[in-house]
Amino acid sequence: MSELFSADFLFRNAILGGLGVALLCSLLGIYLVLRRLVLIGVALPQASAAGIAAVFWLTGHGHAGGADTHLIALAASLGATFTALGLLVAGQRRARSPAEWGVGALFAISSAATILFVAINPKGDIEMAGLLRGELLAITDGDLRLVAGVLLAVGSLFFLFRRDLLLTSFDPEFSRTLGREPVRYDLLLYLLIGGGIALGVMMTGPLVVFGFLVLPALAALRVAPGLVAAFCISAAVAALSFLGGFWISYQADLPAGPACVAVAGACWAASSFLMRLRVRRGAAALLLLLAALGLTQGCASRFEAAAQRAASPLPRGTLPESLLPHPIAVLPFSNATGQSLTIPQGFLDDVARAMGSQTAQRRYTVPDALQQRAAFELERRGYQVVVVPVEQKRTLLAGEPLAAAGAGAPAGFTGPVLAGKLRRFTLTGSGLLLVQLDLALIDSQSQDVLWSGAAQRPVPIPSALTWQEILLDAGAPIFADAFGNR
Amino acid sequence: MVRGASLVVRPDELVALIGSNGSGKTTLLRGLLGFLPPLAGRVERRPDLRIGYVPQRETLDPLYPLSAYQVARTGSWRDLPCWRLAGARERTRTRAALEACQAGDFASRRYSELSGGQRQRVLLARALATDPELLLLDEPTAGIDPEAERGILDLLRKLRETQGLSIWMVTHHVHALAGRADRTLVVSEGRVRLDAAA
Repeated sequence: MSELFSADFLFRNAILGGLGVALLCSLLGIYLVLRRLVLIGVALPQASAAGIAAVFWLTGHGHAGGADTHLIALAASLGATFTALGLLVAGQRRARSPAEWGVGALFAISSAATILFVAINPKGDIEMAGLLRGELLAITDGDLRLVAGVLLAVGSLFFLFRRDLLLTSFDPEFSRTLGREPVRYDLLLYLLIGGGIALGVMMTGPLVVFGFLVLPALAALRVAPGLVAAFCISAAVAALSFLGGFWISYQADLPAGPACVAVAGACWAASSFLMRLRVRRGAAALLLLLAALGLTQGCASRFEAAAQRAASPLPRGTLPESLLPHPIAVLPFSNATGQSLTIPQGFLDDVARAMGSQTAQRRYTVPDALQQRAAFELERRGYQVVVVPVEQKRTLLAGEPLAAAGAGAPAGFTGPVLAGKLRRFTLTGSGLLLVQLDLALIDSQSQDVLWSGAAQRPVPIPSALTWQEILLDAGAPIFADAFGNR
Repeated sequence: MVRGASLVVRPDELVALIGSNGSGKTTLLRGLLGFLPPLAGRVERRPDLRIGYVPQRETLDPLYPLSAYQVARTGSWRDLPCWRLAGARERTRTRAALEACQAGDFASRRYSELSGGQRQRVLLARALATDPELLLLDEPTAGIDPEAERGILDLLRKLRETQGLSIWMVTHHVHALAGRADRTLVVSEGRVRLDAAA
């Protein structure tokens, strides 16, 4: 099991982060369902998504961006969620109309706003798909710490105020006679729900958040003999659904979020079926829990095997063994495709660049992403690497041989350098990526070519939609081809 | 709205607030509870007065997976701070309240699966578990059969006698009260028209 938590395992953050969000939603979902606030569970994640879409359009960030992107997304998500929640609560207190009216209006407006912000975003439909599915694979270590912290805080607050939350939810008037003001605990609950939804949407998308807010809680409340049992069963169902769904998506190359929600839906159907069979609640809960524990254990062991495979170093292929003790400087790759291959940036950044701003971000291109991936793939094969920033390297002229790149080694660096020239990078309509990437390892002092290789095989990428996904899915096969791993 | 009401709550007394629908009985009760502050005049009560409240059964959501015992137990949480675990004292008080309301036999059953009369006894037990001096009940006999209704009213009478409680209840079942209430208030069109001792 420890390998699952190893930093080397590619899906570690996705699994742990998603699991954290699933558990968080499953706890919050119990009160959301009991208080008949399920519609809020649809509308708030959508409002959060609209907030993220708006800020991404303004700043040009994407779901699979770096640490600052996640901070921006979290701020946008929190801002939009609490604004929407505040409007709903204020509207409910002031108006005499049913609460669903406001919630319905919020959902419609948020959905439309999300689509409109995406439509005017340079990333267009690709960003839309990413936003709806969430970007589990882009969860960072910082995100993981945040999820763990929020999960701990929510769990602690639920435990500390368990009596007050139950009293004020079940019978607010009676709770007032005991000196517990329902408004105070309503605010606490809304704070927990809003915070959980904002965090969850930022990491996994509105679909996963809504699915895990509702389905595990519904399944649990069907079979649970008591409220404490309902919380435990809901958490177990969420864990099972997430791990099982993630494993299915991994095996069948399906989007992870919808697969996880589909498994949660199957759990709910199973609990309904058990109750239809008139199985006693306790027995039904036990059956569901046993299935949850068994399947979770099964999925965890599968992931463990995958983690072990991921942690073991890859074969070197045709790369020279003699270079293992020397650090390799990975130079920025040159672009000989005739296309710009710029990864779209945001509206504000485009405007700043058009205005000649020096602070605007440099255009980030596919060759830049491939340079980063090359460094990662060399490390996986046991080499030490140094990534050379673009600013430190002269640009290769068209037609100049790859070996000439060796002269661009950083000052004072005497080891080998890896240079790359991208000649083709075309995505076909049938989901094939046509790539031609030439690579060479050059001695920076003698300019001798120590090794050369090329990636030329088409790479199938059927489910990748964003630039980040394309590069993530295609990275390993491209470099396996270039480094001679057959 | 209720106008011109001048009432005194005395210890050890079973008072019935009667009147037709919309007459203002529940408004008066909510005023006593402090849920509705008076627009004019005042409600005076001891700051440490312990009130046990029995709301109408329909206001409670049957979706909650709670047993009768768990519902009654919430009444024992009045003085329990959030960081303390409920202990033997709360359990004893809950059990005693359930027994006093003759609800011990079905304490382990799910609240939502109980009959109207049984649910009423559980809610009464919950109010008793708060260790009250004044018990306020909103339509405790609405929607239950005559036999269960008589059982509830007899129980209230017994609680008044054995525990020295002051009990105020809203009802419009005048006939069932015969010989049980010490005092009757008739509310009509927002005014207390009659305040008569039995």
